[in-house]
Amino acid sequence: MKRYLRLYFFFLQFSFSKALEFRIDFFFRIAMDIMYYFVNIALFKILLLHTPLIAGWNEEQMMIFVGCYLLVDAINMTVFSTNMWWLPFYINRGELDYYLIRPVSPLFFLSLREFSANSFINLMIAAVFFFHSLFSYSQDWNLLSLFGLIILLINGSLIYYCIQMLMILPVFWTQSAKGFIDLFYTLGLAMERPDRIFKGWLRVLFTVVLPFGLIASFPARIFIEGFNLQTIFHLILVTSGLWIVVLSVWRKGLKSYSSASS
Amino acid sequence: MKWWRFVVASEIRKILAFRTDFWVTFLGQTCIQIFIARSLWQAIFEASGKTVMEGYTIETMTLYYLIVPIGSKMLTGENMGFLSREIYEGTFNRYLLYPISFFNYKTLTYLTYSAFYGLQLCLAFIGYQLIFDQFDLNQVIQLSYGLFFFMLASYAYCNLALFIELISIWADNIWSLMVMARFLCFFFGGAYIPLNFFPDILQKIIQFTPFPYFVSLPINAMMGKLSTKEMILGVVILLVWSLIFNWLAKRLWEKGQYTYSGVGI
Repeated sequence: MKRYLRLYFFFLQFSFSKALEFRIDFFFRIAMDIMYYFVNIALFKILLLHTPLIAGWNEEQMMIFVGCYLLVDAINMTVFSTNMWWLPFYINRGELDYYLIRPVSPLFFLSLREFSANSFINLMIAAVFFFHSLFSYSQDWNLLSLFGLIILLINGSLIYYCIQMLMILPVFWTQSAKGFIDLFYTLGLAMERPDRIFKGWLRVLFTVVLPFGLIASFPARIFIEGFNLQTIFHLILVTSGLWIVVLSVWRKGLKSYSSASS
Repeated sequence: MKWWRFVVASEIRKILAFRTDFWVTFLGQTCIQIFIARSLWQAIFEASGKTVMEGYTIETMTLYYLIVPIGSKMLTGENMGFLSREIYEGTFNRYLLYPISFFNYKTLTYLTYSAFYGLQLCLAFIGYQLIFDQFDLNQVIQLSYGLFFFMLASYAYCNLALFIELISIWADNIWSLMVMARFLCFFFGGAYIPLNFFPDILQKIIQFTPFPYFVSLPINAMMGKLSTKEMILGVVILLVWSLIFNWLAKRLWEKGQYTYSGVGI
């Protein structure tokens, strides 16, 4: 564990110096994420001009939900996103070899090597909006519920990472350029909507099979509506199941990997 | 065979190289976007207690969000975003050696993708109208107008994309600028929510930008919501924006040719 933490510290050092190498791009990316935040906040503000509630949530509560998914998105953009982008290239070009022979877990190395320094600035901006939405909330909340919310959002980031991996790993078999990552980005819309809008089979899809509804909507719901054992149990079960599936697909993928000609 | 036929044939081969991925992504993206949008709007219609909002019922809203994902793909294509890497690596040289103009080549490859997605849009639109037993001559005319406007909008967007891409001669990496342009275009174009839902003042300001002509105009044409006058005005405005972006891109290209080292950065 200590070795992995030390290694991650080196990843951070390397990533910051690399990011500052391309300064214009560094600032462009910050502007891009700010625009993404603006669009998402404006979207719900405009919708709420036409209806008092969306899925039972008023404007204050919707802003908490928006703050939650912007924070999860920022965490993923900072920690995983660049690594996920390069993974299909490594698999297709046979460059995975370099990671398989290193004396550390290849999944750890490939998932965390590149820390996106510019997105880290955006993570702070997202955090400011997140806390602003919490402090603007007219209902009372305590430190314990805040702590619970943060833990659930970290869990949400892990779910997001797992689903993203599941959309990329088919590259081992299809040898396509990006796997199903475009489909993943479209599915990501489900994370940006309150889970209560989904009914029937769509609800099963987004809360169990591809649990985008558990990333930000469940945590926001627990924070707004109070602790619910059934929801927590659901979260733990689905997250563990998803992690097991990712590890198993990863291992199967490695078995199919045939190096440079893969 | 003329040069443009080679380019089109080669692009179609590229599109169809990974057929499974292509169709899974196309069907998946289209269906998911419709289902998510319909769920959201159903919740909004229920909460507001209305059956018609800003001229849209839940059915017309569903058609709107059927057109949005494929129309957006037609608009933004898939053949952009590589130029910065080519400049960075020095492989941009090939455009200087090709016996055809860089602009013609890029525009043609871009429009090939747009036309291909246009075909998908036809299939989706006809399928939707057949399911609801509404397919008649009127729908064929609307579909034709919609496709015409989307192709015109794609041409205008292609020029905008070329302008942004050529900035990479100076700025190394402009991927984020392309994404920003897409965000602006989709949000202020009405891809996320129809423009009728925007506050009046914002709707008026947006009309002075190219964004509503990229997305909202073609969708409204396809849904039969445009008068002849609005269509003619739309064509003129799209052509003017195309000329502006084309002029800007060509100025950058003229300057950039002398800055580009040809050996990568």
